[in-house]
Amino acid sequence: MKAILQTILSQHRHDPLYFWLGILVAIVPAAAGILLLGVSGWFITAAAIAGLAGTFLNIFAPSAIIRGLAIGRTAGRYGERVLTHEATFRFLTKLRNNLFGAFANGNAVRSRTGLVLNRFTRDIAALDTIYLRLAVPLVLVTVVSLCLLVVWGLVSAAVLSVGAIFLGLWLAIALTAVRNADRKNARRADAAADAMVLRAADLAAGRRDLAIYGGLEQAASAVTGAGERLNSAEDGLQQRSLRLVSLSSLTGQIFLAAMLVVCALVALSGDMSVSLAVGLVLVAIAVPELMAQILPGLSNLPRTALSARRTRSILDKDVSARSDVSSHRVEEALAANAPVLRFADVSFRYPGAERKVIDHLSFKMTAGEVLAIAGRSGCGKSTVAALAARLRLPDAGKVTLNGMDLSAMPEADLRQSVTVISQRPYLFNDTVAANLRIANPAAGEEQLWTALEQARLAQRLASSPDGLQTVLGEGGLGLSGGEQRRLALARAFLTQPDVFILDEMTEGLDAETAADVLARFMDFRGASAVLMIAHKQLELQSADRVFQLPGGATAQKTP
Amino acid sequence: MKRKERSEIALEGETKGIEAIGLPQAAERKSLRDAGVRLALSDLLWIAQAGLVAFVLGTILDQLHVGEAIQAADLSGFVLMCAVAIAGVACLRSWLQFSGLNEARRTAILIRQRTRKELLGAATQSSPVASFPSSGAFAAHVSEQVDLLGPYYSNFHPQFARLKLVPIGILIATLCYSWMAGLILIICGPLIPVFMALIGMRAKAASERQQEELTRLSGLLLDRVRGLETLTLFGAVGRTKADVAEAGERFRTGTMRVLKIAFLSSTVLELFSALGIAFSAVYVGFSLLGDLQIGTWGAPLGYTSGLFILLLAPEFFAPLRAYAAAYHDRAAGLAAREKLTALSRKIDNGASEAPVPVGDGAVDQFWLARPVSVCFQNVTVSLGERAVFEGLDISIEPGETVFLEGPSGSGKTTLLDCLLGFHRPCEGKVVIGEMDASACVQTLRQGVMWLGQAPRLFHGSVKANLLRAVQDPDQTSDDALWVALRLAGAADLVRRLPHGLSTQIGEDGFGLSVGEIRRVALARAALRQGAGLFLADEPTAGLDEETAGDVIEGLKSLSANRTAIIATHDPRLLALPGRRIDVGQLSGAFRKEAVS
Repeated sequence: MKAILQTILSQHRHDPLYFWLGILVAIVPAAAGILLLGVSGWFITAAAIAGLAGTFLNIFAPSAIIRGLAIGRTAGRYGERVLTHEATFRFLTKLRNNLFGAFANGNAVRSRTGLVLNRFTRDIAALDTIYLRLAVPLVLVTVVSLCLLVVWGLVSAAVLSVGAIFLGLWLAIALTAVRNADRKNARRADAAADAMVLRAADLAAGRRDLAIYGGLEQAASAVTGAGERLNSAEDGLQQRSLRLVSLSSLTGQIFLAAMLVVCALVALSGDMSVSLAVGLVLVAIAVPELMAQILPGLSNLPRTALSARRTRSILDKDVSARSDVSSHRVEEALAANAPVLRFADVSFRYPGAERKVIDHLSFKMTAGEVLAIAGRSGCGKSTVAALAARLRLPDAGKVTLNGMDLSAMPEADLRQSVTVISQRPYLFNDTVAANLRIANPAAGEEQLWTALEQARLAQRLASSPDGLQTVLGEGGLGLSGGEQRRLALARAFLTQPDVFILDEMTEGLDAETAADVLARFMDFRGASAVLMIAHKQLELQSADRVFQLPGGATAQKTP
Repeated sequence: MKRKERSEIALEGETKGIEAIGLPQAAERKSLRDAGVRLALSDLLWIAQAGLVAFVLGTILDQLHVGEAIQAADLSGFVLMCAVAIAGVACLRSWLQFSGLNEARRTAILIRQRTRKELLGAATQSSPVASFPSSGAFAAHVSEQVDLLGPYYSNFHPQFARLKLVPIGILIATLCYSWMAGLILIICGPLIPVFMALIGMRAKAASERQQEELTRLSGLLLDRVRGLETLTLFGAVGRTKADVAEAGERFRTGTMRVLKIAFLSSTVLELFSALGIAFSAVYVGFSLLGDLQIGTWGAPLGYTSGLFILLLAPEFFAPLRAYAAAYHDRAAGLAAREKLTALSRKIDNGASEAPVPVGDGAVDQFWLARPVSVCFQNVTVSLGERAVFEGLDISIEPGETVFLEGPSGSGKTTLLDCLLGFHRPCEGKVVIGEMDASACVQTLRQGVMWLGQAPRLFHGSVKANLLRAVQDPDQTSDDALWVALRLAGAADLVRRLPHGLSTQIGEDGFGLSVGEIRRVALARAALRQGAGLFLADEPTAGLDEETAGDVIEGLKSLSANRTAIIATHDPRLLALPGRRIDVGQLSGAFRKEAVS
């Protein structure tokens, strides 16, 4: 609930004008719809009485009003839809940007798998219902109810009390919907939906492994099981909302019967004209439809609340992450002749891990040097790369780049000085050119081709009809593992850093390709220093110096 | 006989299955129709209620202005009775509405459930080596696309019956009193679909484009978030933020453009329904004034019947409005059904390449529990158009260790896949321990010790992943798991994980490196201690020297006392005792293809 309120408030803050404009305009068609029936009822009754008595009735005003209301209702509905949707989409666009910013600033992203990310996109989509289905109808119903109460009060106390009782009933239905919201089933539904996606992804991915270990049928029945859990949870939620809908429609019809009785009796007693009585009865016919507008939003409340809470939790994390970074801003003087990269007594432990991966590590690299970090898998080689690239901050000790504390360096400077070529380079689902220009947005076509040439990928791309505009990824050009590495290499060739960090650059490549890739890189690097995470003989041989990391599996072997 | 019948039905269901995926079956279609009829009846009962209201108000008007004096007490009794009758009809209407909606919603759930099962059935039928949609696409179809069928069936389908029955019922009731009022409805009503269709066609095309745009936008966002580390490393985060904002802005303006068209079509609907009510009111009013004398069947229009006509008018348009409101569900549901059909066709294409035999018949359960002989007898295998092996003969003795060597692409994996029944030879047969391999696929897969080339671990703990290898997970102690892990050289790495055996592994073995995944997978294989056959595909690829050494030690002890077939081109592994078969020499049709 709190998260929903926060979302409404932040939408309000984002654009108060559109927020209120949408609601204000929404009142027009609602009021016009009610008045259309009311005035029509009043008009034909007055006409009948005039016809019977043979008296004069000004027919032009009421019939003009009726036509005016009909057009007002139509135009109002159009305006309302356009404005409320405009308000929502403006807000959602901003929210999406903020979420991306939160992901970019926070370190949370590495722990998030693609499927979790998938849920977030669905959450954002679910948030558009907060304004459209909750805020607008609730304000609308409140305003119209108050107006109705005033009108009824002016007419007769009996009508007012009947009207008040039924509006109270609707309020009670709304409150029940909120108070008895089925949070348990909402959580179950979300969890089951997630489980279903996970299991289905498993079923599609490791099909050989599944066929032999566990069986495809069992995997399929795990998906079906999750699907059935989802269905049963949704069944519960739907049943509840259906009951609300039926209850509201029953209330509406009984309201009509009650209004009929009270208006008839008041008219009979002579306290009210028959035309007015008929008008009020017809208004009673139009009211239930309006009241029913709040139900879809309310019955969906528990799931919307979950979405809102998840979204807020990311945005809130963003705030804390930002303050974290700013506290680190301590400028340091650039020391002359300082080592290009230096680890001074650095220790690091992964959150949740029992022991330190890096324990009091110190080393230096001079300009242009190629230093290989070797050691068993698990001894923390990749962690050294992550620390040197400031993907992780050390728990103790200091990493310096050209004598500057790495943790205090402005992001832009750091990224200009260090280029990482990683074991699993990420290629974006975009054109080859866009993928390359991530490294250097100013690079011209010629530069791109040169980089591709250096990575020995130019020929492969030249044979593709779209050339640099070829789209990579799903539905686009499929590159083999080796070609992907080469493209990542080409991307790195567009930078001119002080230090290259190679994290097992040739891992998973066959010997011939590995040698070629490495040779090309060494040709290209020029005066840049290279920190090389390696275990292959080939790579170790190309280094000026090999630094053996202690630790790892052998050292830790316990009886 | 009975069995044959059933399989025929299953076959028929299969051929139809692909086209019929996501379609309701006869019984489901009937209950959707029933639901619609109940909703329509509930709507039509309004005629009774409107009649009562008009009757009451007409009587009161007569009482006060015509002077047919009835006792006031009698009249209030009469009003009350009518009100009670209205309330009674209200209960009936609400019940009909509830049961109709409930029926529709339940049927929709059933359809979703069945569709999901059909999709998964196709996925299990398809051979593990056949081409298969990406895991993300498959997961999205099984979950989201199937879910989209729900509103289509529960909200949209019942509207058919309403649309057919309700306006006609209301029209007939109106015509009983005035043909003029009926004419107003007839003119305003059917014009709506015409205008809506005109606007709707443009809206449909535009909204489809927009839907794709949305998919692209969320795809872009996901893609950039996944590659955030790369963006950070190249200092491209700020630039990407601008890209994302720009794409979002473009999407917003595009969406609003589409929505404006879509809203226009519902506005036309609103306009005609409002005008219909307004015209009815004005016509009735003028008739009652005596200014208009036409439109009735003889006698001038009375007040009660005039009011009755006015009360019916909004309800004439209500089903149309409901239909239009559910139209979005229809578009989404139909699009989902198309996507599901395309997906199952894709899966089915894969299935037809290598049909999986079902049912093993009588296989001795100890058949694979001792070292078995393996024979390829005159085997020909084709992948698509390309014949990988022709007339292949290999004979492997029980307990023998055989290394399949040869460059990548020469068919080492294909040979192993043949043994497991993932591929079926077009000619000849594979015999394992005197049994035709294709006749005992299930038993073989559940009993063999196997390590794939790119082994995969699944969501869940390390322990759960290991236990996939055994038939009775409850009977397997942690000690047995540790023994297997040590054999595979994976004990230390598991001990180092934050929660040991209970550490959760994410998608794609998230949290473990390639080498670590391979060693855990080897431990998984090692848990099948009772197996007489051991198959491994490039078990040392991508491992550092020391780790590879551990794995080779593990492979050595796993190969002892069972028939072992290991595909590799690693010289360290080939140095072990055992027979070497160069697959490159065997595969006559093999051409060296571009290997990068």
